Amino acid sequence: MKNRRKSTLLLLILAALLLCTVVLSGAALARQAVETDFTRKNLAPCVPFLFGTDWMGRDMLARTLAGLSLSIRVGALTACVSAAIALALGTASAALGGWVDSLVSWLIDLVMGIPHILLILLVSLACGRGLWGVTAGVALTHWPSLARLVRAEVLQLRQAPWLQAARRLGTPPERLARNHLLPHLLPQLLTGLILQFPHAILHEASVTFLGFGLPPDQPAIGVILEESMGYLAAGRWWLALLPGLSLAAAVLLFALIGERLRLLLSPATAQE
Amino acid sequence: MKKIILLLLSLALLAGCQAAPAPETPQDKQAVTVVLPTAAEPEAGFDPILGWGAGEHVHEPLIQSTLTVTNPDLTIGYDLATGMETSPDAMTWTVKIRDGVRFTDGKPLTAADVAFTYNAARDASSVTDLTMLGRAEAVDDTTVAFHLKKPFSVWPYTMATVGIVPEGSYDPAAYGSSPVGSGRYILRQWDRGQQVILEANPDYYGETPRMERVVILFMEEDAAFLAVQAGQADLAYTSAPYSDQRVDGFSLLSVQTVDNRGINLPLNGFTADPLVRHAISLGLDRQTMIGHVLNGYGTPAYSVSDGLPWTRTGEVPDAPEAAANALLDEAGWLPGADGIREKWSFGRAELTIHYPAGDSLRQGLAAELASQLGELGIQASPNGVDWDTIYGEAYRTPTIWGWGAHTPMDMYSIYHSGNVYGYSSGAVDAWMDEALACTDLETSYVLWQRAQEEIARDVPWVWLVNVDHLYWVRGGLHVAEQKIHPHGHGWSIVNNVDAWEWAM
Repeated sequence: MKNRRKSTLLLLILAALLLCTVVLSGAALARQAVETDFTRKNLAPCVPFLFGTDWMGRDMLARTLAGLSLSIRVGALTACVSAAIALALGTASAALGGWVDSLVSWLIDLVMGIPHILLILLVSLACGRGLWGVTAGVALTHWPSLARLVRAEVLQLRQAPWLQAARRLGTPPERLARNHLLPHLLPQLLTGLILQFPHAILHEASVTFLGFGLPPDQPAIGVILEESMGYLAAGRWWLALLPGLSLAAAVLLFALIGERLRLLLSPATAQE
Repeated sequence: MKKIILLLLSLALLAGCQAAPAPETPQDKQAVTVVLPTAAEPEAGFDPILGWGAGEHVHEPLIQSTLTVTNPDLTIGYDLATGMETSPDAMTWTVKIRDGVRFTDGKPLTAADVAFTYNAARDASSVTDLTMLGRAEAVDDTTVAFHLKKPFSVWPYTMATVGIVPEGSYDPAAYGSSPVGSGRYILRQWDRGQQVILEANPDYYGETPRMERVVILFMEEDAAFLAVQAGQADLAYTSAPYSDQRVDGFSLLSVQTVDNRGINLPLNGFTADPLVRHAISLGLDRQTMIGHVLNGYGTPAYSVSDGLPWTRTGEVPDAPEAAANALLDEAGWLPGADGIREKWSFGRAELTIHYPAGDSLRQGLAAELASQLGELGIQASPNGVDWDTIYGEAYRTPTIWGWGAHTPMDMYSIYHSGNVYGYSSGAVDAWMDEALACTDLETSYVLWQRAQEEIARDVPWVWLVNVDHLYWVRGGLHVAEQKIHPHGHGWSIVNNVDAWEWAM
């Protein structure tokens, strides 16, 4: 049992380290990612260009790492913003009840009723596209499921006997929230936040791929994939395949971290 | 089970890796299938009043006749017209037209149809610029008079772009999809988003088209390449990134163009000094740019209209880079510690270069331009933006533009006062206004060239390359000689499809 918990922790740390490495190396390679050299254009994967080069001679490995780094940072930012929105609205809904609860529930239904990608496109367009447009688009559309979870959790916690006891003992509401509510809410919120990452990353890449997200001169994964489409028929498979696989790997890693974290933090599985 | 799956996968891979069968020569020797870009499909249909054949991507309308045509050397020839003259004040053009020409619905084509077409096109305000036309008037059945609001010596070039429609049966709602004309071809079928089928007009007054049936398919570039590989097309457009591919049974046809790319140099900021603008123009290695970005398929550009009759040929110095560096030194821009030039009180020699986001050719040119400017000690940063930003900031930000039309009015648009690029010169305006006011085209060519000599002193634009138009052509298909293509990689190739033929 102990070994399983250890191995889960080890895997989690390794995955987190790998993602951190991608983020840092991508940021460090930002200049190389846009550096053009027409004398080395259209090279298939080789040494020293492990992911090959594109039609402007740009190093596809540097571009992929920079793109993933950007995607992960956008994903982190949007996941944090949407988690904050979810926490605020979910808690307010459950704690205040009445018309606030009705309004928040209605908002959740409304946002969940519109296809995500469509809503992201609209918000991104309205915010002028670019980094902030896509960030706002993803952040403002990913909070409802987590808000619903938080609301349910708070409703359940409110009925807990230890919370009732603390209230009857005269504990002020701020202390109740800080000392008794939040610690029980945090594991769910953290897991939900981590599981938002892959969603956010994929949606950022999709919106950029469709031309409504990050600008084409930024080495984003969506831009890289969109550019590569025109060259697939010319046999330049590496332009799409390797960045695409890298994106899938990053998304899977985040999903893995979220799942492992859930196993570790959930009272039902934590002691297995 | 695992082995079976592996075997199936291997077979699938093998099948995928097999070379496509060599395409066969088509059975029908009087038919041809051509692939054009999806953007070439006319949204408003084949209606000259709504811009078919005219505008930025000018080409011959095929279905309709025009009064004049442009010759291979871009001088003016006749189609429906048999003669034309202009009044001494250059305000009225009188054109005699052929007698006995009929539309494909059997009705005769008269001067009244010509006058109707021009007046309707003027009122429609489409991409056909007829703002200078007061009214068109049928003098008799074979004579039409154009009364202009201002002198316009290049009117014969405008007449080469307006197809004539029948006054009696013209219905603006239906004409675009079922046009009636008197040109070389009849529109037999149009499947929107897919194809157009043209058939030779049996009553055409000119030489009978050798190609009886022309199928035009609209495809994205990668799909066009796959269509060629599958042998489904006889001629298909392509571009430099595909030029290193090989397809059995097809060869690559490269057509010279005036489809140029250039940048405007604002008369403010770093490029305010004419010496700096001269240095940039001199210091660029256009041939290297063509090799790098166009895989060698292009020609260096020195004006907006290289190779056209109204153009002054540019002069290339022996040692351009040294001359450029000397000019920058003279202008007071001296190399700083990091190699980027600096000037006291002005700061560093820095430029942002805009290009339309999503245009990979202009993106490549911007990158190469930035690299070459870097060698001159100028730090340039390419930036892909939308067209609203481009037009809004054109007066202060150099931008990669594409021009090149079969009329001197391109020059007028970008160099005459009132343009969006902020360039203004009284001398240039005077030469161009005089060119438009004269009554003789030959004389006007010289005046346009005078304007270019003035422009060359100011260098408000730097021209980079003329992009060759590339096509995959099936073996045995003889594509008739092409006149220099204008901007836009579309219908120009089929201007003379009636003269194409298959080897017997």
